[in-house]
Amino acid sequence: MTELNLHPINRRNLLRLSGYSLGGVLVGGSVLTLAESLVGRATEPLNQKVEELLLKPQTPVPEFPVSAIEPNALIINTYDFTPNINLNDFRLVVDGEVNNPLSLDLAAIQKMSKKSMVIRHVCVEGWAAIVQWGGVPLRELIQLAQPKPGVKYAYFISADRYYESWDLASCLHPQTVLAYEKNGAPLPIDHGAPLRLASPIKLGYKLSKWVVQVTLVSKLLPRRGFWEDQSYEWFAGL
Amino acid sequence: MNSTDSTQVAKLQGLKEKTSRSLQAFPAKVFHWVNIISLMVMLMSGLQIYNANPVFGGREGWHIPQFFLLGGWLAGGRHWHFAAMWVFSLNLLWYGVYVLVTQRWQHRFVGGNDVKALQVGKNPKRKIYAWHRIVYTSIIPILLLALFTGVGMYKPAQFPWIVECFGDWFALRVVHFATVPLVIGFAIAHSLLSLKAGGERLVNSMLWDEML
Repeated sequence: MTELNLHPINRRNLLRLSGYSLGGVLVGGSVLTLAESLVGRATEPLNQKVEELLLKPQTPVPEFPVSAIEPNALIINTYDFTPNINLNDFRLVVDGEVNNPLSLDLAAIQKMSKKSMVIRHVCVEGWAAIVQWGGVPLRELIQLAQPKPGVKYAYFISADRYYESWDLASCLHPQTVLAYEKNGAPLPIDHGAPLRLASPIKLGYKLSKWVVQVTLVSKLLPRRGFWEDQSYEWFAGL
Repeated sequence: MNSTDSTQVAKLQGLKEKTSRSLQAFPAKVFHWVNIISLMVMLMSGLQIYNANPVFGGREGWHIPQFFLLGGWLAGGRHWHFAAMWVFSLNLLWYGVYVLVTQRWQHRFVGGNDVKALQVGKNPKRKIYAWHRIVYTSIIPILLLALFTGVGMYKPAQFPWIVECFGDWFALRVVHFATVPLVIGFAIAHSLLSLKAGGERLVNSMLWDEML
């Protein structure tokens, strides 16, 4: 019996495989970078279609009991800094393609109807936290501003110059709110006071903190959001 | 060369063709290859996503070495993961239909006869074959579990019941991540057992014969 027969591993194929992997490593680096942008661009429209189909725009996502709140689970994430906002001067502006542009102070916003919900906040990084949010449903503000026909998107501008854009259906979802309360207490500044987006249907990076302006538009601009412009998914539905 | 000789030669050639023909059906080989490649992409891009916030220990937790990752950073990892998920899951779907329609599920996967062979059988080769069948059948539920937990993490608001199946979000993440060591353990056991059960001929029949 020769040595070869003792080992049933096929040397020819082993050689072939190692040849492939060496070639793979050499070509890989450059091809991967190209393939990656292609992969994202090729399947992202399909994924977004599926996400839009999955979204039930008027059906609330099941909420949690107050006892399920995880008070310390919500990690503080910002792209840069925590802005200083003078609450006496603060105004929320709702503008763009609307018949009735709004400029509201906090007292006016807190007088509007309030939605309280205990939901799961899911971060793109993979962690999640069950949080209670209280605030004004975004759709009430949008209705008050009377969007013109053809409005399809909303831009959210924050005091720290963070920017986001959403599809209108997700803005009008009954659980999309501009929150001023977290876990039963006034919203802390690190979590976006005085006003931040909260919703169970979008990933955390869509939920802008320190929102100062909501602009309704019929077309998306080339800049779609701080992270989106660095290739994160735009729809980011849950 | 007389006529008897030529029929003999033809017969031998036919026999040779018959014996050199692959042991595996062509669709099974296609499934096997597409599964290996798409699963590799899922695994490496999944570990890239994992590194954004490790399941165990969060940001201070242990990170997977760069060598095993695909995508460069979180967004790249997610692009690969949510592109390859289509190839991976649709491959599993058509294979499932194929296995049902051709009734391969009746004789190509582990069955009562394998359990019997292990319990009362005397033939050691049959026992190895039984283990081989048990192991390769196990990849089907592992892949389905990866897919199920993955859908739960991808769209928890649309499929909250998937999260509930596992108790909470952390448990769901742990189970989804656990499919990585399960797949790696499977790949090692499956490779060794297929060599032991059928040697080079079996391995070649699934990987290379009539493919290259």
